[in-house]
Amino acid sequence: MYQTTEEVRTSLAGQDYIASAEICTALFLAEGLKKPILVEGPAGVGKTELGKVWAASTGRNLIRLQCYEGLDESKALYEWEYSKQMLYTQILRDKVQQMLTEAGTLTEAADRIASEEDAFFSERFLLARPLLQAIRAKEPTLLLIDEIDRSDAEFEAFLLEVLSDFQISIPELGTIRADSPPAVILTSNNTRELSEALKRRCLYIFIDYPSADAELEVVRIKVPGLSDELAKETVEFVQKLRGMDLKKRPSVSETIDWAKALLMLNAEKLDEDTLNATLSVILKHEQDIMRSRRNLETERRRSLDGPQRDSEILEELESDLRRRSRRRKRGRGGTGDPFPGFESYED
Amino acid sequence: MDQRMVDFVRALRASGVRVSLAESEDSFRASSFLGVSNRDHFRSALRLTLVKEEKDIGTFERLFPLFFGTGAPPTLDAMAEMGEEDAQKLLDALAQLAEDLSPEELKRLLENLLRGKPLSEGDLENLGRQTGLPMASRPGEAPWMESRMERSLGLQKLMDALMELLEELGMAGMSEELLDQLARTAGMNREALEEQIRNEVGKAIARRMREEYEKQDPIDDVMDLPFRGLDEREAERLREEVRRLASRLRSRAALRHRRARKGRIDMRGTMRANLRFGGVPLVLKRRRRVIKPKLIVICDVSTSVRHCAEFMLTLIYELQDQVARARSYAFIDRLVDISLWFDEHSPQKAVAMVLDDLRSGHYNTDLGASLAMLCRDHLGEIDSRTTVIFLGDGRNNFNDPRLDCLEDIKARCRKVVWMNPEAPYLWGSGDSDMPAYQPYCDTLHEVGNLAQLAKAVDTLFDYR
Repeated sequence: MYQTTEEVRTSLAGQDYIASAEICTALFLAEGLKKPILVEGPAGVGKTELGKVWAASTGRNLIRLQCYEGLDESKALYEWEYSKQMLYTQILRDKVQQMLTEAGTLTEAADRIASEEDAFFSERFLLARPLLQAIRAKEPTLLLIDEIDRSDAEFEAFLLEVLSDFQISIPELGTIRADSPPAVILTSNNTRELSEALKRRCLYIFIDYPSADAELEVVRIKVPGLSDELAKETVEFVQKLRGMDLKKRPSVSETIDWAKALLMLNAEKLDEDTLNATLSVILKHEQDIMRSRRNLETERRRSLDGPQRDSEILEELESDLRRRSRRRKRGRGGTGDPFPGFESYED
Repeated sequence: MDQRMVDFVRALRASGVRVSLAESEDSFRASSFLGVSNRDHFRSALRLTLVKEEKDIGTFERLFPLFFGTGAPPTLDAMAEMGEEDAQKLLDALAQLAEDLSPEELKRLLENLLRGKPLSEGDLENLGRQTGLPMASRPGEAPWMESRMERSLGLQKLMDALMELLEELGMAGMSEELLDQLARTAGMNREALEEQIRNEVGKAIARRMREEYEKQDPIDDVMDLPFRGLDEREAERLREEVRRLASRLRSRAALRHRRARKGRIDMRGTMRANLRFGGVPLVLKRRRRVIKPKLIVICDVSTSVRHCAEFMLTLIYELQDQVARARSYAFIDRLVDISLWFDEHSPQKAVAMVLDDLRSGHYNTDLGASLAMLCRDHLGEIDSRTTVIFLGDGRNNFNDPRLDCLEDIKARCRKVVWMNPEAPYLWGSGDSDMPAYQPYCDTLHEVGNLAQLAKAVDTLFDYR
């Protein structure tokens, strides 16, 4: 249990996690008010990681529920272990036989079996899934519900019920209530809108791509072997890439991967060869790689040749414009060309 | 403080952030738990409890300083730390300068600036009335109002007067160090004054916003509001409604999907699955006969159908998880693949980007050419499971309708669905080619308002 937000920050830093002031306040409030936290943001900015370090820094057991499309109660809550029940009936067959032979009438035999029902519907045969595990846990627990946006709307509604009073009723056993409610953290990549009811119950954090300084700190902590100079270059480059119009922008986890790759390759600085060799670590689409290369190339040329290049660039732009306006005119006429503006379609 | 927070929540609501009662209650609990002494903590506490969507963070950050100030330093008294002699010098100089300063207020202000006295409520109110502050009702007007008030206060003139004063004091033999300090104090006090003005402006605007919000008459029956001729406020309301509608449609579709899954029992599969239980059928296997639809959406985004296209794309993509695969194309005079936008951004954002990117020109819609492009480049994506959805009014500017292309498409796909935002009696009038296209469509929907659109989209997920 934290006393101040500052304490949260230091204890997370102890787990190699750089937390913003907002994250610290959120954890502090979540502990104090016993509310779940909902974390949203682009992929790879450390949402799941936050759950892990929260558990580690407070000494809680981490129970993780990974959501996916089609996840239902039996996978998330509990299941009767049929095969084990089956096995037991087989093994205990003689005993059952014996009980039944002693019975005088059919009714009596049925009654006898009914009275032994509990033997087969007890916690022994209950396969606890993450939600039930979290509720039954004796030690302090953190429940991490990962990528909630991937689950179905129905499951979300069901989860709402579980999260609101931390109890589960199992028809054969009765209601199981949590002795100490677990801390809960939910993550979402925002692929679909979550229900308002769920959002209402949670504290909401949006984690965006970090600033250059924060990212540099992360790289320094996660990849300690990398030289300061190179770390700085790496981060600057990634930040620049994020500014470009890419299909998939590189996230922090990719920066770290890249930094590790550079370390393994014993790179000393980010020259063209290193870049070409390792660009695929941060960019995951062929098109992105091409585009970023093109952008970097123009930038390099501009910076190398300085002002005298400017006139050339201007010229290029002008001829481009002229080409476009010609094309537009042709497009509007429309009769001769069945596919107006076809040449520009590739862009 | 409590009143301030209540007002803040109201202002958030007025700017379109949905804040429920439970959430505002949470914000009170959170702030009392954290205490209000640390401004950043207080801000975080409110943000964590009140804002539940990325797009609302900006609104929050804009409104917060209006209500709770920007945390400028408190005012200082320059005379407090002076020796008696220096203080007397200062007073003398002030008195002398005051003779030259024309309006009485300026003199008082100069003293304010040096002695660190904040403006009184009355002063502020007067100032506000002079500059028309009570009329301001938008957060965007704040900077302008502030500069107006500062000008009306004569802050610049005041600084000039101050420089003069300092010069005079220097001549009267005040030490360099003291003069420096005096200038610094005055500067800080000036900031504090500006802060006070900012606060006043923020408060006034917030008050107006709240009043206007309460005055606004509710839009009734959003579902029946025609898409044609929406104003910005109505469009905003509809956007909100579309989101709620999407979640309703989604659970309907999911439920239908699940019910449909409980189809006929697959005997072979069941036996195989239950071998481990000694042949006792504990687990039933069913034949999965439901296939999620594959959708190809072709949207007209020219001026006449813009709103409709926006809502329809939002709906389809909000329902993404009920669809096996959706690709979408937009056209005005030619076809553009817009699926990429949706892969990467949330539906709302993607739609906004698409509409921003494809600006409509003047009477340049060419559905025929777009159809031809679709046939030439993307026919391979259409197979017997694909539902092809057209959204548009079929107004072709008298270009070739290219019915042959539509026929090709129709031959390959499962279903052609056409959604037309125009009323049926207009089909065929003017440059509308709707009657020509009609025979190739399996279903034809009129989608003039949200209710009709919802119904049309819902039928897409009907598996029977």
